[in-house]
Amino acid sequence: MLQSGGVESHMYQLATKLIDRGHKVIIITHSYKTRHGVRYLTNGLKVYYVPFFVIYRESTLPTVFSFFPIFRNILIREKIDIVHGHASLSSLCHEAILHARTMGLRTCFTDHSLFGFADAASILTNKLLKFTLSDVDHVICVSHTCKENTVLRAALDPSMVSVIPNAVVAENFKPDPTAASKSHITIVVISRLFYNKGTDLLVAAIPRICELHPSVHFIIAGSGPKAIDLEQMLEKHMLQDRVQMLGPVRHEEVRDVMVRGHIYLHPSLTEAFGTVLVEAASCGLYVVCTRVGGIPEVLPSHMTVFSRPEEDDLVSATSRAIKEIRMGRVKTEKFHEQVKSMYSWTDVAERTERVYEGICTGERVGLMERLKRYYGCGIWAGKLFVLCVVVDSLILVLLEFLFPQSGIDTARSWPTKAPRMTDGGGRRDRSKRRGSNVEAVVEEDLNGVREN
Amino acid sequence: MPPPPPPPPQLHMPSPTTVHRPSPPPLLTTPPPQPWPPTQPSSQPARHPSPNPRRSTSRKRKPWRKLLWVKQDYPDNWVDPTFLSQLQRNINVHPYDFYSLVADSTVIVQHLSSVVIFVTSFIAISAERVSPVAVAVASSALTVAGWAIWDMGYEKREAATDMRQLAGLGAAPHSRTPSGNLVGGMTGGLHSRTPSGNGASGAAGSYFPPYPASTSGESGSPIKKAPPEVSPEVDKAHMKHAQRARRLTTAKSAALIYFTLLGLSPILRSLTTTISVDSIWAIATWLFLANCLGFDYGSGVEVKFPASLPTNAAITSSVVLASRLPDTTHVFSLILFSIQVFGLFPVFRRYLKHVSWNLHVLLTVVLVLGAAGGLGAVVGWGWSVVWVCGVIGGMGGCGWWLIGLQKYKNEIHGPWDPARPVIRRQWE
Repeated sequence: MLQSGGVESHMYQLATKLIDRGHKVIIITHSYKTRHGVRYLTNGLKVYYVPFFVIYRESTLPTVFSFFPIFRNILIREKIDIVHGHASLSSLCHEAILHARTMGLRTCFTDHSLFGFADAASILTNKLLKFTLSDVDHVICVSHTCKENTVLRAALDPSMVSVIPNAVVAENFKPDPTAASKSHITIVVISRLFYNKGTDLLVAAIPRICELHPSVHFIIAGSGPKAIDLEQMLEKHMLQDRVQMLGPVRHEEVRDVMVRGHIYLHPSLTEAFGTVLVEAASCGLYVVCTRVGGIPEVLPSHMTVFSRPEEDDLVSATSRAIKEIRMGRVKTEKFHEQVKSMYSWTDVAERTERVYEGICTGERVGLMERLKRYYGCGIWAGKLFVLCVVVDSLILVLLEFLFPQSGIDTARSWPTKAPRMTDGGGRRDRSKRRGSNVEAVVEEDLNGVREN
Repeated sequence: MPPPPPPPPQLHMPSPTTVHRPSPPPLLTTPPPQPWPPTQPSSQPARHPSPNPRRSTSRKRKPWRKLLWVKQDYPDNWVDPTFLSQLQRNINVHPYDFYSLVADSTVIVQHLSSVVIFVTSFIAISAERVSPVAVAVASSALTVAGWAIWDMGYEKREAATDMRQLAGLGAAPHSRTPSGNLVGGMTGGLHSRTPSGNGASGAAGSYFPPYPASTSGESGSPIKKAPPEVSPEVDKAHMKHAQRARRLTTAKSAALIYFTLLGLSPILRSLTTTISVDSIWAIATWLFLANCLGFDYGSGVEVKFPASLPTNAAITSSVVLASRLPDTTHVFSLILFSIQVFGLFPVFRRYLKHVSWNLHVLLTVVLVLGAAGGLGAVVGWGWSVVWVCGVIGGMGGCGWWLIGLQKYKNEIHGPWDPARPVIRRQWE
């Protein structure tokens, strides 16, 4: 995946684990510059790169119905039972859920981001989300705060929203005590340098931290529009020898950067889950982070120092963390094993599987019931949505007439071994053996929009 | 580390038929299984007094915690009583007061009335029911009278503005000489852009909006070297001198505009004659709408220049209308009138509101009745009754409506909102 953000790696890991558990998973996404058509990844994970017109940063233009013919073809070809959409900014995902419901399939949606309620963009996105989620079987959120947000945004029954956190591949984030400097304390910052990642706070806090603690060094990885502010700050305070800016790093290299530090600083202003915090703790770093969004739920208090999103408090929280590290009161060497027991993709896959089982046993709803649900979305929006659904159903009838289901070949599944006792990493025995349970065929849909 | 949890419970999926989604109330569609809104404080959920009805477990469980890193003995779709306990609604909403809303709407009514007066005057002039010269003379006389009133309060106003700027800047106390007052040469409205020709700093200041820091700095710095006390009689003499110079400047710029307009009138008359009549009406209507919508209703006396878009729209509109008039005198009178109505009159209105509320109300009544009279004379008395009723109904009705709409206000805040970073700007 070219733009490997949180959502993409989430989908890849989840899909891999689900395949290990004996399901069949395919991923549908829009085509990237150099990738069209069908690709097979590890484990026989099949990815369809559907050609689309990309507008900006891998976001697609919402063309409500144009995606339907090819999508129906893929669903029939692969004999799909459940459509699972990711990322609430992706129009592809919303369309896929609408079409899948029209075709009478089960749907599920995972929300990875938080939205406010005030600005115009949020209002529009929330309306779109409400449209999609009016008729979805289950919703998965990555944190409890994210669940509260989604329930409010889409006016959902909270009991149809499950909280399943992200996870990390602990093997990829092993600590390396030899890599970090023995003489001075290094603070690592890895984030895209955007406003909502709190780069302004970082720019304000770094000179003060450097002034207070002459032996502290910084490593900053990531790029973005705020990088220039950071560089200006470095020049102004002549901190070039103490603050190292690495620019963008690939996801595989993140661990090598992290292990060079003692403290991970995360000044974000909004965060649904904050996978990077878990990764940092897994690498044995003491985490300093702002108490916003879902972050307080992610790590236990002995691994983190929380701060308010204020310059003064961030400085004092970092100072506290430096002191704790110097006194040797933080057992960072134990963090890796602890994090490993907290978050694993196998656990996420099991819990997701439970959601799939739940939605497969639910009753199927007819068109009229669906229309009633959409109609309740709003005075004007409701009518518009109903119109969309009716047109979608008519298009389905037309497609059945033009390309009858009997005329579409079914794809052969990837040959799989009998489900093994151990999972993909080969570490632990699974608590529950799935046997030859292959009834749930899952289709994941992704768009390249990164997690906010 | 918590001990390995028992096998996690299965999800409890509501069957789709029980999930009702009619037109949703602002927050939720189905009543949650637990008391709502939560009555317990978020930190201490303690034991659940009534277990979730959908779970028939009787064993004691640890209270649910809003954490992701512990494996808890609750289903993933568990809805705790603390759900949404951090939700805050309408925290920065302040209620409106009906009478203050009505009072504030007088500013809008004044402007609408002056537009109506201008349009009716145009119709009367073009129908040759009123002599254009009479209109121009009357309005000029009123403008001069208004300017006289406005000029009387000039010193006091400047001093007040200075005090405000000083307070805002936190600058050292400085006594501003009257010659410093000339900086800007603000004679209001369009005149204010005329050069005052009073030394280099004065001329420089007059071309630009009064930048508080530079203006006070320029005039303040020489004074600091001079003895700080200025004797009263010297001060008075300076004041007199400044007043005279200011009036002279105003008269000069007024004369300049007058003669320029006189020279331009023949050109303006033929400028848009080739455009057809209905296009002219359409353009003029849109430009007046732009003027009314874009007008700066909120600002007070401290504003030296009118907002450029609405003023330009109104003047352009009158230029466009002027081409429908038969004679150069008509054109000249109409455009002079429009400059007075749209350029200078708003300055006077702001000043009057600042000085006396009663006079402001009086002016509002006079303008509304004037507009009603104009409508009555030009289109019919029925329309003037409609106008007056519309104004009164609009003032009360819109205020009442706005207050009525407040019950739909539903601002939602919670932990998901992006935090506002607090940064001390000492590193700038």
